[in-house]
Amino acid sequence: MVGTKKRKQLADDAPPAHIAPTSTNGTATMDLPSDDEDDAAIPDDEDAPVEEFPELDDRSDDDEEDPESDDIEHATDSNEENELDEEEYQTTDSEGDDSIHPFPRAKTIVSDITGVPKRVYPEIEPDYDSDSSTEDAPNRVGNVPMHWYDDLPHVGYSIDGKKVLRPARGDELDRFLSTVEDPSAWTSAFDKTAQTDRPLTAEELDIIRRLHANEVTDANYDPYEPTVEWFTGKGKEEIMPLSAAPEPKRRWVPSKWEKKKVMKIVRLIRAGKIIPHKPKASSHLPQFHNIWSSTSDSSAIALIPAPKPPLPTNAESYNPPEEYLPTQAEREAWEALDPEDREKDYLPQKYSSLRLVPAYEQFIKQRFNRQLDIYLAPRIQRKKLNIDPETLIPKLPSPNSLRPFPLYRSLRTTYGKGKARCMSVSPDGGWVVCGYEDGVVRLWETGVGREVKRWSFGGEKVEAVEWCPRGDVSFFVVGVGQNIHFIVPPFLPPSTFTLTKTLLAPPTLPPAPAVPSPVKWVSKYKDSTSTVTSESTAPTGYDVSKPILTLELPPGSSAARQISWHRKGDYFASVSNQPGGSNQGALWIHQLSRRHSQAPFKTMKGSVQLVLFHPTKPHFFVATQRYIRIYNLAEQKLLKTLMPGIRWISSMDVHPLGDHLIVGGYDKKLCWFDLELSDKPYKILRYHTRAIRSLHFHPTYPLFASSSDDGSIQIFHARVYNDLMTDPLIVPLKILRGHDVTEGLGVLGVRWVRGLPWLVSAGADGTVAVWCN
Amino acid sequence: MAEPSSINIPVVFSTQTQYPLPSQKFMIPSTWRRYQLSQLINKALSLVSPIPFDFLISGDLLRTSIHDWCSEHGIAEEETLNIEYIQSVLPPQKTSELPHDDWVSAVSSKFPGFFLTASYDGYLRAFDYSQQTVIEQLVHQGPITSLCVIPVESQEAATRLIATSSLDLTCRISKVGLTNNEHSFDPQASLHLHTAPVSSISCNASGTQLLTSSWDSLIGLFDTTIPDVDEIDLEQEEGTTRKKRRKLGSEPTRGKRKAPISVLKSHTARVSKAVFGGENSAVSCGFDSTVRAWDLDHGVCTNTITSSDKAFLDLVCPSGNSAITASMDRSINLFDFRSSSTIASALSLKQVSTPSCLAVSPVYGQAEQQVVSGGYDGAARIWDLRSTKLPVATFFGWEDAGDKKILGVDWTKDVIALGGERGMAIWRVSGGESQ
Repeated sequence: MVGTKKRKQLADDAPPAHIAPTSTNGTATMDLPSDDEDDAAIPDDEDAPVEEFPELDDRSDDDEEDPESDDIEHATDSNEENELDEEEYQTTDSEGDDSIHPFPRAKTIVSDITGVPKRVYPEIEPDYDSDSSTEDAPNRVGNVPMHWYDDLPHVGYSIDGKKVLRPARGDELDRFLSTVEDPSAWTSAFDKTAQTDRPLTAEELDIIRRLHANEVTDANYDPYEPTVEWFTGKGKEEIMPLSAAPEPKRRWVPSKWEKKKVMKIVRLIRAGKIIPHKPKASSHLPQFHNIWSSTSDSSAIALIPAPKPPLPTNAESYNPPEEYLPTQAEREAWEALDPEDREKDYLPQKYSSLRLVPAYEQFIKQRFNRQLDIYLAPRIQRKKLNIDPETLIPKLPSPNSLRPFPLYRSLRTTYGKGKARCMSVSPDGGWVVCGYEDGVVRLWETGVGREVKRWSFGGEKVEAVEWCPRGDVSFFVVGVGQNIHFIVPPFLPPSTFTLTKTLLAPPTLPPAPAVPSPVKWVSKYKDSTSTVTSESTAPTGYDVSKPILTLELPPGSSAARQISWHRKGDYFASVSNQPGGSNQGALWIHQLSRRHSQAPFKTMKGSVQLVLFHPTKPHFFVATQRYIRIYNLAEQKLLKTLMPGIRWISSMDVHPLGDHLIVGGYDKKLCWFDLELSDKPYKILRYHTRAIRSLHFHPTYPLFASSSDDGSIQIFHARVYNDLMTDPLIVPLKILRGHDVTEGLGVLGVRWVRGLPWLVSAGADGTVAVWCN
Repeated sequence: MAEPSSINIPVVFSTQTQYPLPSQKFMIPSTWRRYQLSQLINKALSLVSPIPFDFLISGDLLRTSIHDWCSEHGIAEEETLNIEYIQSVLPPQKTSELPHDDWVSAVSSKFPGFFLTASYDGYLRAFDYSQQTVIEQLVHQGPITSLCVIPVESQEAATRLIATSSLDLTCRISKVGLTNNEHSFDPQASLHLHTAPVSSISCNASGTQLLTSSWDSLIGLFDTTIPDVDEIDLEQEEGTTRKKRRKLGSEPTRGKRKAPISVLKSHTARVSKAVFGGENSAVSCGFDSTVRAWDLDHGVCTNTITSSDKAFLDLVCPSGNSAITASMDRSINLFDFRSSSTIASALSLKQVSTPSCLAVSPVYGQAEQQVVSGGYDGAARIWDLRSTKLPVATFFGWEDAGDKKILGVDWTKDVIALGGERGMAIWRVSGGESQ
């Protein structure tokens, strides 16, 4: 039997394994698992195997030829190995249990001397048994690599110097069989020195088990020992100093280095580099907000108040009026509907007293739905801009407080043919002279509108009409074609007439200028010829139907388009180029007293549109298409160039005080310039819907008017302050409508009546109207 | 309406007309209007021909029912109402139209049996009632601005002096003799003062003095006697050479030159009208927004009423104490000189267009209340100053008037004569029976 042989071998090889159990025999208690109990040969009472098993174990160890075990082996032939193996396994397994103490156990006895319990270990017998290493270690080669003996038949030498022969190793099959048959084969390990397998001792197995179980390897170590108070506890207090050495200085002198460290921090705090109690910049903790709390934190989400739940109605009362109670049919209909389809989610119910009202069964559900609505339904808070629209309107005085200004059309004169191109009001305000496209100039009384005199200039367009602003003489100039005619109106007092006549047709002409001017002054009036009387001549000896004096512009120049008088009435300027045409011979300044005309500029940039004399200073405004240049005529130099930003300047007027200029353009813009202030407009007004045609400042009232091709006249209040700090006040007052737009042309000219808040306007529809307050 | 028909109101009637009722209390239904009241008066007086009346309750012309008037004025219907009745102005009837070549600036019907017109062409024209032109005489070089017939003692005198003012700076007095057969025109004198167009001329009730107003802010006071010699030397006045004299033949003969008695200087701008007020006093108005009262004995301004920005165009003076003005700002204002304040405090009648001329009612006792105005819109309006909201009557001088201006108006007896762009129109107003 291979099994028996193995077992013998094993018994020979492992004597220490036998010793240990025997030594602890008395105290060893076997605690076999109950499952394996059934497989054991003798099923017995619970106590019995515990007592008997060690004997069995001993016997099996001591005596291989146990008849019982043999019987079992024989009886169970086929399962013999397995069962035995299993049995052995169980045995060894039970040996490795905690209850088995391979080392001598300590006894606790009460000491005779001190009276306290003490642990007493059994005496160690100093014989061979005490040191197994000395007993059997036949190979005494020491700690040398054993492969030195690989090729030799021995593996070393015994203490006597004799060769220790290499034990028989057997082949792989034997090794396998031994593992199968030998129950202790799995607890054996290869001994290099002996070059053979040796079974592990119980202590070694216990250590392995403890390592495996992550326990303390020392079986005697008790981690839960009660503490022993060696130096503390009652009566063990140390009352005497351990050392008699005096206390070192550092114990009671403040530390210098600590102080230095603290002072460093203090300095940093004072310098502001360290801010104490500074809130942590960013807390990693999440910020929670109570979204239903009423306190609004600025950093929190803007709290939008939840919509208020509707107030309960009569039907929701616990004691509703009878008419609210549902009938049976209604109740059934309500119950038949799905909850979502119900019009209301309750049925009115009647209780005789509040005491009888049960708990509202929908309470939680309703609350939950409401919370859900509040939470899920997006709400936004609309911030209404509470701006009073009145505040957006600039604070302007009411037009009613700025009276007087023209309000209505008092009268108008119509002269069927031709557009009224130009118009001028006499300095005293009593007469209006207007020129028409068919070469007719009409003079009429401002207040009545009755034409008192008419002059005809042979069908040529009358482009400009201007009264002389002088008060002591009375005449006006008419620009027709290349001629500028001087005309004296009728009904003059004799003194004025005489003065006018002397001015325009002096008996002795002034000496001709050294440089002859290309402009010819032709006087039709001859004092000598006035003796010839005719029916048509006036009693004053002058045919008022003919101009008294005529200026002939050099041949080739265009028709005089604009005439502008100097305030004193001695100089006037005429512009006679076509719009956008060349400037050659376009601009002339005529002096009446010397009967001399001169061109003030040799060359001019741009096409001259308009000219204007400054009312107080010797300044001269020249408007080209886009710019206005201001020249000082006395010093003969350019003072300033104004840039109104208008594409094409159409009209211009200067304030009677001389510090402000208004410029109108064909692109509907009206620019107000403060000449002291800037080259850029102080204000740009865009009120007209079509091109601006004419502008005029009232000589005495703080008013100005603008007329446009849209057929309207706009009246503005324009108060100018002497204080340089106060800006001019410009208030739109009134839009006067009444002129018809003819061929795209509206109101071609507006002029104020001096001394009265009256406006005279000439329209392309051939009418001239007087607008009164 | 809470059954107003059931309410009767105690009413006492009074009148200044020639149809007085006995002073007794009437109980009148509150729904009655002017028509029922007028019928009541007519029946009570048992007049042969019905005369329409207008009714004034505390100086206010009744235009609604009495109930409405009471509720409007917050007067309980139990109170006794004092109602004054006047002869009502019926809508005027147009009688004739006298077309002119040129605008008519002034008309006058003060010449019995004839109409006089002054035109912008400088002519003075006279028409008889059969619309025949009896006189057409060039008086002025320039347009005539106003015309006045100087009254004489006897109503039947066939020859009268007529004063005209013109834009040619002069005024003239002409003697016009108009009978049924013979017509004569004789320039008598020219008044020389002004250096600007003369805007108006007027004479006092006794016909002894003339007032001229001009654009040169002066008012001249002249007497109506015709001097034997020129009071003003032409050379001195005109300051020109004698050559001018030769042209005298070409102009209308103007008679003797007259100098003013006194010159009233106080206005600062054009004077548009100056009329005689009471005894030796005058009232004037002008473009300087003032109405001034003058003491003609001393030639000083005694009272100045300043209004704001009213360019006055015409003025009538129904009594010495008040003046009715028409101004360019479309209002007719009544100024009372008795009020101490110099600021205009007056009732004003808003117009739709510029009122250019005014004339007061010739009916005795109504002169202070009724006034006719002619406007630039071609409409003449009769106003009762007790009813300021609406005119009593509105009539257009000419058909398809458009905005043909009325420039002159005269109201004599029951005839309103209008002069304007289209010439002259004559309207007859009933109820304007003079005493």
